[in-house]
Amino acid sequence: MKRISIDPITRLEGHGKIEIFLADDGSVANCYFQVPELRGFEKFVEGMPMEEVPRVVSRICGV
Amino acid sequence: MAKLKLASYWAAACGGCDTAILDIHEKILDLAAAADIVFWPIALDFKYADVEAMPDGNIDVTLFHGAVRNSENEHLAKLLRAKSKVLVAFGTCAHIGGIPSLANLFNKQSIFKRVYHDSPSTVNSDGVEPQPKTKVPEGEITIPQFYDTVWPLDHIVDVDYYVPGCPPTPKQIWSVVTTIVSGQLPPKGSVVGASEKTQCDECPRQKHEKKITGFKRIATAQPEQETCYLEQGFLCLGPVTRGGCDTRCQLSGVACRGCYGPPPGVLDQGAKAISAIASVIDATDPAEIERIISEIPDPLRSFNRFGIGGSLLVRKAL
Repeated sequence: MKRISIDPITRLEGHGKIEIFLADDGSVANCYFQVPELRGFEKFVEGMPMEEVPRVVSRICGV
Repeated sequence: MAKLKLASYWAAACGGCDTAILDIHEKILDLAAAADIVFWPIALDFKYADVEAMPDGNIDVTLFHGAVRNSENEHLAKLLRAKSKVLVAFGTCAHIGGIPSLANLFNKQSIFKRVYHDSPSTVNSDGVEPQPKTKVPEGEITIPQFYDTVWPLDHIVDVDYYVPGCPPTPKQIWSVVTTIVSGQLPPKGSVVGASEKTQCDECPRQKHEKKITGFKRIATAQPEQETCYLEQGFLCLGPVTRGGCDTRCQLSGVACRGCYGPPPGVLDQGAKAISAIASVIDATDPAEIERIISEIPDPLRSFNRFGIGGSLLVRKAL
């Protein structure tokens, strides 16, 4: 099965890739969007003083 | 003279460094006149395969933002090192780990548990977690391996220069760009785009003798806006942070959190912060000292907000 990889997806904030699988006739058989990125803000802000959180989570996306 | 070949890449990053580069505004045209940009995911459509196809040393300068937190970040760090004559750790994450390295207080398992199982917005009744390889009917798809530990760039590959800041200021970025274009590069290993002084040396707030009898939080107390934060009992990392950012946080009404990293001669910013704060606590009675110290909000993450990955300890024990 022919495969087209778009890696990385560009001109946006963040990391992503797309895998496209083609059928024999060239039509798209299936397509997967993947996010190969995690930093874990959900965990490392736990227990942090509330006034400090905005200055940390603003680094989730700086665009 | 041939135009410079320039690359800019983000690993475990937020895109703020890339945006700060764009914040040089119309000078981006001068940059484009002096350099061909051969890889810059946020702005241009080059793929990893394009970089892999380049001969080694093809790129004159790569500005590498973001920490190394997974196998893709590590691969790109090694790839861009091989393809670049000069590799710059650009921004706090690449320099000393940055905010992503706060994750070094935890491990992969506890982060996955929170993110994919326990967070209030998550519905995951099958208990699915991301896997590096997933079988699908058409074949196999892959994502990077998530590491326990977040690393600054120089723990993974040889780094030529460091540009601190979360993000670096556009003024400093432009000074770095003009230095690169001039070809008059400083000694390898230099911190560029910053000053050789501390934040306190450059902070316009009035300073007197510091005698701290207790710590306050901006959530529950109002700082007076002319005087040094630390003198007023608000934790400030100015004494242990490199200058060069024009003290933008202090001028915005909040104390320094240390994103420009340690000043010259300081190996570990968090350890130096403990030393600096201890020296201005105004008490001799052990019980009174204990009371004052206990008022420091979240000391571990406050003293090491931006630099756990680049600290001597790197992480909490696994």
